Amino acid sequence: MPSQTREIRRRIRSITNTRKVTKAMEMVASAKMRRAVQAVLASRAYAAQAWDLVLDLAARTDPELHPLLRPASFPGEPVSKNVGVVVISSNRGLVGGFNTQLVLKARQHLDKYVYQATKLGKIILYGKKARSLVTRYRYDGVADFAKPDLLTGVEEVRPMAKEVIQGFTKRRYERVLIAYTDFVSTLVQRPRVRQLLPLQRDVELGAAGPAVISRPSARSREYLFEPNADVVLEALLPRLVELQLYQAVLESNASEHAARMVAMRNASDAAADLIDDLTLTYNQARQAAITQDLSEISASRAALEA
Amino acid sequence: MKTFKLEITTPEHVVYRDEATSVTLPTVNGEITVLANHLPVVTVLTAGELVIRKDGTESPYAVSGGFAKVDGQKLSILADTAERFDEIDEQRAEEARQRVEQLRQSVAADDTQYAQLAGKIERELARLHVVRKHKHRGHVGITQEGVRRE
Repeated sequence: MPSQTREIRRRIRSITNTRKVTKAMEMVASAKMRRAVQAVLASRAYAAQAWDLVLDLAARTDPELHPLLRPASFPGEPVSKNVGVVVISSNRGLVGGFNTQLVLKARQHLDKYVYQATKLGKIILYGKKARSLVTRYRYDGVADFAKPDLLTGVEEVRPMAKEVIQGFTKRRYERVLIAYTDFVSTLVQRPRVRQLLPLQRDVELGAAGPAVISRPSARSREYLFEPNADVVLEALLPRLVELQLYQAVLESNASEHAARMVAMRNASDAAADLIDDLTLTYNQARQAAITQDLSEISASRAALEA
Repeated sequence: MKTFKLEITTPEHVVYRDEATSVTLPTVNGEITVLANHLPVVTVLTAGELVIRKDGTESPYAVSGGFAKVDGQKLSILADTAERFDEIDEQRAEEARQRVEQLRQSVAADDTQYAQLAGKIERELARLHVVRKHKHRGHVGITQEGVRRE
């Protein structure tokens, strides 16, 4: 059966090549991951402290002092209609469920903001792979920022931060959420949706009902500003909002490379299994062919001798 | 003396997380010194020298802008960069300053670039200042009475 064995040999060759590719991608991803993880862990403490500072300020400062301190709609106000969502995805595929899970999570949150059967989410994209939110699920896309492959510094997210801050201060968005993937470990990455603006302390959205506004008591110890509130808040708030976006991008990058590494390792392992399987089948087919040839030869010899 | 919690964080790492008796900060309005039970204040830092005093020793740091928050029990400093004086290489700081100075003369036209460069110069100057001031003391702290201790 040379035709059958040839077919199997061809498949083995093709899978071996695929395995070489996935193996190479795994190694590239793991190198990139190491760098991305280092970056994310280094700035985590800073970002966390900055966020703490901002929330603390927001709770204890007069919201009149800066447009970014605008509180969430008070109970009397109509339900907030426009929700801006910054979706931080990857530019490339082959990352397993990384982007699909993020899009799913974002949709779960967005579907809470529906008004008279109209979707209210306004999507700000960062990374190509979440475009399906706009193209397929028909949410309103407002901006698609180009995501660089190499993140050099906070400046990279500045245009996006500007859009978010302006949109919020000019009331184009009542609320701004970030959908990104939290890096927990190499094996675990968790898609998350967090509220960026208004500044308030409900970290994970969902269970939290209407935020309880306990301003009067919380403001009993207001901060003093040096030199004055305007200067400090103007220097501080936009920068720290920007920093939160930057940290989310760092988390997403680390997660992306980790997810890709794991996906590629699984692919390489699956290819190896398949190669083993096919090699066995190939050997069996070859042996069967030889046995058959032999029996045919001896049969024909027996026929001649008869 | 009464101490309070102090935490200095930069985007790269946590520089200091410990108790301190007093801290002098370079703010945009001039230096302020924070002791325990300081009233809640938020301020903007500028490039300059930050001095931490604890158990009679002082450790100077060069910082280059950031924010500081005192909330009664704790002083949190979010600095853009912060280096202990003995981590700074004087020669490199001087070279860096000269390089930026040259750059500034060649590209003085663009506003944003100019602002960036001015920031850089300020930072390098602050580092130089801190390292020059404390160089002769070597790697050991000085007590408040001026007695050299190992």
